[in-house]
Amino acid sequence: MIDRFVKSLCLALAACLAFAWFGLGPAWAHPHVWVTSKSEVVYGPDGSVTGVRHAWTFDDMFSTFALQGIQPKQKGVFSREELAPLAEVNVTSLKEFDYFTHAKADGKKATFTDPVDYWLDYRDNVLTLHFTLPLKVPVKAKTLALELYDPTFFVDFSFADKEPVALAGAPANCKVNVQRPAATAPPAGQQLGEAFFNTLTSSSNFGAQFANAAMVMCP
Amino acid sequence: MTPASNARRAAQSLLLVGLFASLLMALAIDTTCAQGPFGVGAAGSPHPPSGIAGWVLAKQAEYYRALGAMIRAAKADGSAAVGLLGLSFAYGIFHAAGPGHGKAVISSYLVANEETWRRGVVLSFAAALIQALIAIIIVAIAAALIGATAKMMGDTVRVIETVSYLLIMALGARLLWVKGNGFAAALRETFAPTVALRAAGAAVALEASPLSPAHRHGDDSHHHHDPYDHGDHDHGDAHHDHDGACDHAHGPEPQTLGGRGGWARGLSAIVAVGLRPCSGAILVLVFALAQGLFPLGVAATLVMGLGTAITVAAIATFAVFAKGIAQRMAHQRAGYGTLLMRGLECAAAAAVLGFGGLLLAGYMASERLFAV
Repeated sequence: MIDRFVKSLCLALAACLAFAWFGLGPAWAHPHVWVTSKSEVVYGPDGSVTGVRHAWTFDDMFSTFALQGIQPKQKGVFSREELAPLAEVNVTSLKEFDYFTHAKADGKKATFTDPVDYWLDYRDNVLTLHFTLPLKVPVKAKTLALELYDPTFFVDFSFADKEPVALAGAPANCKVNVQRPAATAPPAGQQLGEAFFNTLTSSSNFGAQFANAAMVMCP
Repeated sequence: MTPASNARRAAQSLLLVGLFASLLMALAIDTTCAQGPFGVGAAGSPHPPSGIAGWVLAKQAEYYRALGAMIRAAKADGSAAVGLLGLSFAYGIFHAAGPGHGKAVISSYLVANEETWRRGVVLSFAAALIQALIAIIIVAIAAALIGATAKMMGDTVRVIETVSYLLIMALGARLLWVKGNGFAAALRETFAPTVALRAAGAAVALEASPLSPAHRHGDDSHHHHDPYDHGDHDHGDAHHDHDGACDHAHGPEPQTLGGRGGWARGLSAIVAVGLRPCSGAILVLVFALAQGLFPLGVAATLVMGLGTAITVAAIATFAVFAKGIAQRMAHQRAGYGTLLMRGLECAAAAAVLGFGGLLLAGYMASERLFAV
């Protein structure tokens, strides 16, 4: 009887402690990498979305870290070829995190396959990673919601100031709305329809959330 | 079945339960949290912490970003170095509130053991110093000497991390074993005080003549002569003590942990905790190296460690005092008080093991060196 008592008591206490701690755990990391993103939603000739093309610019500290050990022929100038192995490492590592890219087409989640056409360039002391995420199945959707975030907050994403999400080859009637993290107010004069909020991958209280989101509407 | 073997089995099963629990927790968390943002919709979306947590996070991020700018500034103007060091210190203080700086492990370790707050402070500073030194050594060797790539450094850190987490688990398992025995002993004393008293008596008898043949003979003859005497009990209890010698040696005696051997044990704790370098420090060091300011990066890392140590020491001290208060309250309830304290220590030991397991499983260390 004592055995059982010991066991259950210890188990319960340990579980409480660990869970209480865990609740605080992952959300307590602060970002170590900052990414400024410019993206394009890519359309096929038939007007269906085929994928997303990203250009992610890293902050200079992380860029310097990532470049560590890579010897360019000319000091301070890194060619695309010289950076190819690093780009490979980058996209390979990103797979585990679903490329931080989350999409919903007409409310249904859309799945991406492995990236294609990826490369890095280095300019003004920072690295920019270019890659295209093809959709597993191209979709024709009235609404396409796209979100960019790291649930662990290790990477801080923000949309570029100008035209963060563009449409490439979209039908003429398609329009894109962009929502930045809660700290930033939506651009003036831009009214977000109810559909915007209903179709986001994250359900409720979007305003309080930390995601960069874009909504493409092709009525 | 003697109480001793009972207690022993209890301790053993405790150890197993602890291991199993940490595994289960990891699994439970796996299914709830790590499913990948696609599968979980709202749950996968980040909710930035608000209130104090959010403020601490925002400050960390702010300071961290400023560090990079400050290193660049120091390259052009040496006087910025002073600002950099001040910033590193502030960053360290705030950053220790985040995961990966061992405050949970150190605090649990202190609660599990009968440690003084002074020792908690020393352990915190030692762990932070080791952590800073490891980061400096890694970058000095990997980046400055052999020109390793970021990926190679990341891989190195991962190996060190794994070793560190395994050490934390080993530390927790050992503590749980010891404290589980202590807890079992306290249970015996609480629920079967007479037996315990006799056990104590038997222990004294044993000390006087430790299982000499003569003693056994005497015992036997005693047994023969008077079967209704307590000899029967004594015999059993002597056995108990023999079996349970381990329990008693490791049991509730605070002196054994606070005494001379305590420092060696403390060393294992600080190494286990401090082994894992802080990824922020590594980034800062590599950045400073690239600017040709490695010594400044080293200084910044050490000052950062000092800041970290202060926060961890404060939390550890708080934990020790909290335990002290609990202990004083427990003393007012004779019998169950001791049981409660042993239970608390046991739980703290289990927590160390659990933290190790969670860290190893990758659910608590969110400071990965991403994408390299």
